[in-house]
Amino acid sequence: MSSRSPSPHHGGGWSSPGLMTPQGTSGRSSPMRGYANGGAHDVTWAAAQARSAEVKGYGAFAPRNNNFFNRHLRTLSQSLPSFAPSYAEKDKFGRGRWARFQRTRLGQGLARVGRKMWRWRKPLFVVAALLLCLLLFYVTPLYRLWRRTSFLGGGSKFVIILAANQGGGVMEWKGPREWAIERDSVKNKKKYARNWGYELEIVDMSTKKRYAHEWRESWEKVDTIRNTMRKYPHAEWFWWLDLNTFVMEPSYSLQSHIFNNLQKNTYRDINVFNPLNISHPLTGEHLDPETRSAVGDGKPSSINLIVPQDCSGFNLGSFFVRRSVWTDRLLDIWWDPVGYEQKHMEWEHKEQDSLEAMYRNQPWVRPHVAFIKQRKVNSFPPGACGERGDDPMIHYKEKDRDFLVNMAGCEWGRDCWGEMYHYRQLSNRLNRNPWEKFKDGISDGVKHLREGKKKDKKDDNKKQS
Amino acid sequence: MHFAMPPRKSSRPPPYAMRNSRSFNLPRAFRRRDYRFLAILIAGCFSIICFLTYMFSSGGSSADYIPAGSAPVVIVTVFPMSAEAEFVEKIKKNRNDYAMRQGYATFFASATDYRSLLNDQPLTWSKVPAVRHAMTKYPGASFAWYLEPTALIMNQELSLIDHIMNKERLESLMITNEPVVPPDSVIRTFDHLKGDRIDFVISQDHDGLSQSSFIVRRGEWAKYFLDAWFDPLYRSYNFQKAEGHALEHIVQWHGTILAKLALVPQRTFNSYTIDTTGNNAKGMYQDKDFVANFPKCDAERPNCLELMEPYFERLDGGKKSE
Repeated sequence: MSSRSPSPHHGGGWSSPGLMTPQGTSGRSSPMRGYANGGAHDVTWAAAQARSAEVKGYGAFAPRNNNFFNRHLRTLSQSLPSFAPSYAEKDKFGRGRWARFQRTRLGQGLARVGRKMWRWRKPLFVVAALLLCLLLFYVTPLYRLWRRTSFLGGGSKFVIILAANQGGGVMEWKGPREWAIERDSVKNKKKYARNWGYELEIVDMSTKKRYAHEWRESWEKVDTIRNTMRKYPHAEWFWWLDLNTFVMEPSYSLQSHIFNNLQKNTYRDINVFNPLNISHPLTGEHLDPETRSAVGDGKPSSINLIVPQDCSGFNLGSFFVRRSVWTDRLLDIWWDPVGYEQKHMEWEHKEQDSLEAMYRNQPWVRPHVAFIKQRKVNSFPPGACGERGDDPMIHYKEKDRDFLVNMAGCEWGRDCWGEMYHYRQLSNRLNRNPWEKFKDGISDGVKHLREGKKKDKKDDNKKQS
Repeated sequence: MHFAMPPRKSSRPPPYAMRNSRSFNLPRAFRRRDYRFLAILIAGCFSIICFLTYMFSSGGSSADYIPAGSAPVVIVTVFPMSAEAEFVEKIKKNRNDYAMRQGYATFFASATDYRSLLNDQPLTWSKVPAVRHAMTKYPGASFAWYLEPTALIMNQELSLIDHIMNKERLESLMITNEPVVPPDSVIRTFDHLKGDRIDFVISQDHDGLSQSSFIVRRGEWAKYFLDAWFDPLYRSYNFQKAEGHALEHIVQWHGTILAKLALVPQRTFNSYTIDTTGNNAKGMYQDKDFVANFPKCDAERPNCLELMEPYFERLDGGKKSE
């Protein structure tokens, strides 16, 4: 209580020097319990009033702003609260321990720092907030949440469909190598999907008889895509991946790699790269100008299917479809019993051949299909499309840090597991962080030295002998 | 200092009244805050405009531009190679009269026009590219109505849109939950379809979907439907009735096509005058019907004009009596 003049004192009574009650000096304001002022003998008027208030069930007048923090907040924010300075000692400068400390050199230094910080409090606050955000959103898993959210990172707009067990089931037994391939591939996609907030749908493609009235052997791509679209009703793009694929650069997001600039990353005119020799823009007089155009309407918004092309045509080992009415129609017409009956012996690659046939023969398909450079989403290892693996359109190049390797056709006479292992190790090595690089550098150096020494010794031994 | 009570109001009021923040005064804001307020306002407007242009540039672009004053319907007729010139003239006149009256357009083609697309396949297939061709040629027409050359438009008062394609009208006409191919196809037409979502209107005669008269609504679906129907794999499959069975096939196998199809009673726009099998009493022509069809009169009984004669007279008589 610092009021000098006699003024009404909460809790009742007047603060006049001689008659101060103990609770007056401590600033206590709540109705007192018991005999706070020292005993029953010297009953003050205030104490009596408080007691009668207790009996009545509610407290005497108690102003707000009277708890510890409210009273001291202002002082707290400027310096540590100094308790109980009695008025008599107030003039004596630096009496407490704190004050003594303040006079030491360290204390002065700290005080200076404190003053500086106080002066720069606003920018400091901003920096602290930024650091906190960084911590929350970039270092901790919260960034995944950020990347997933459709209006922030947009990760949940993408679904990766991974076809496991292709051709397995009744057709083939799985050996330990196949299990290992599946494990590695799934792990790789899981990590990638989690990192960027994408959905991952692993589907079992083992051959089954699904329909009572038909047997469409491993033509389930279409059904699978449809089911996945139903399962993720808010996703926009669906990325089909075969099992024998490996994401080499997990740091590329689909958005930055392809979809943020769809126009630049894809091409509509198949004449850019045309291994099937499809005559492209259509010339039929009965067709509308958009269908006859080489690039459809030329806008990225009309792209509903993105397919890479390898040396022998479309490749459906890694392709994208967008949810749209057009896609519904395509998926519906993709498999047709009449086409199947006529062509199922001839169409070795099933959906892929069927899609090529539709692209050739049904003009409505063309304005909504875009192609993407093979190496953007579907690089081949040597052995697929040429033994030497040096086709700059098709084969993986370590130097260019291609996004994905598709070991297409490795089950026909190549070593799937060997390739998978090789590319996994390569990807790990390429994507080491600086600390790992440093460690590896040292261990390599040590190894090198040791080997060198051994060699020297051997040489010496040889010389001696 | 601690105040137990809120501070008392100053006994000396400020010389000017405080600005009341609720009644926001624009000129005053300008005066007071100088140009800061103006700058914020301009920035706000600019960003809104940017946002709107972005929205509309990406959104409303897919709709086709339809020139004003173009015909809403194009009537498509493909004449077979064998058709006589007199027959062709009369049929064309019938279509043109109707089109003139209703403000529609007509599109005539010969089956041989599309021979380059058909590799020795039946020329009857040419109706499919012809419809597509008509839609390309008349980009303003919302509907293409294919009508076989063996049919006459008898009631020229009826507008195609009000008579069939109007939403409520179509909903009342639609035959739902009906086997697509009579009598016992397991695939039935959908119920709960909305009239404005229907893109393909056709009728059934006694032995299936009758392709002598059908209406297709212009749009992406029409391209899909016509191109899928015309797929070479269907053409090479040797369906017994070529495009007829191909249509029945795709309608039954592909839900995206069936979902756009409406079956209407045959007499709506395809009444027959000849009962070839004797079990199609429902579809027989009655007075004031929209269309009179003489099925296959050109192929099996090459006396179309003879058969049509009384109907032509009726048409002319109707005109004279007006």
